[in-house]
Amino acid sequence: MKREVSDKTILEQFAEDFVKIVEKHCKYIIVSGFVAIIHGRSRGTEDIDMIIEKIPKEKFIELHNALIKAGFECMQTNNPEEIYSGYLMNSTSVRYTRKGEFLPEMEIKLAKDELDEMQINTRIKIPDINPIIYFSSIETNIAFKEEYLRSDKDIEDAKHLRIIYEDEIDEHKINEIKKQIRRLRMKK
Amino acid sequence: MEQVEKWARYVKEHPNKWKKELKLFVDSQIIIANRFYKKLNETEEGRKKLVKIMELKC
Repeated sequence: MKREVSDKTILEQFAEDFVKIVEKHCKYIIVSGFVAIIHGRSRGTEDIDMIIEKIPKEKFIELHNALIKAGFECMQTNNPEEIYSGYLMNSTSVRYTRKGEFLPEMEIKLAKDELDEMQINTRIKIPDINPIIYFSSIETNIAFKEEYLRSDKDIEDAKHLRIIYEDEIDEHKINEIKKQIRRLRMKK
Repeated sequence: MEQVEKWARYVKEHPNKWKKELKLFVDSQIIIANRFYKKLNETEEGRKKLVKIMELKC
């Protein structure tokens, strides 16, 4: 599965540049569609989903300012206090792009419950795929897509990951995560 | 779904080939969409549409 550096997509280069800033300020994970795409899933997307640990406002302002300095901008507002209190603390995501560009976008959310915290605490790098970016585990991505998100696109993403990791996937772990999703996100 | 499975098998079995093929597809989608949004942003009417598009995403 090893690849040449020049094979990086625009999405992957954008993600790398972005996470290099974020990781200096807090723990993060990349989740969902981009995880499938970076593993070769053939579908389009305009955004990458990121969850960051729940950091205090002051720390987020430092992160935002570092992103601005590195050439990114927030689509909603340039006021970091408003981003934090008006969006992130209300479980609403915000989107960052490179300044002057519309795409790709990094969609950021704060960790909102123990499930998000678990994902961050069990985050992984996949050196053969990308040595820089932290992802939530493959089992977590499959569980969310099959149990919670469940659109055709998500089911296909999960199927793709299942084939790529067919000899390595921990089915018990997927089922345990699905139980937590039902308990915490679906109140079942 | 059959096509998804077929492609995933191809990715798994051709680790040195798939990325170049996929890059063309993934990059062109971003480039074309970006070009279109920038074009929209050039006019007042376009900017209104762009705001609506962005609101859909938020």
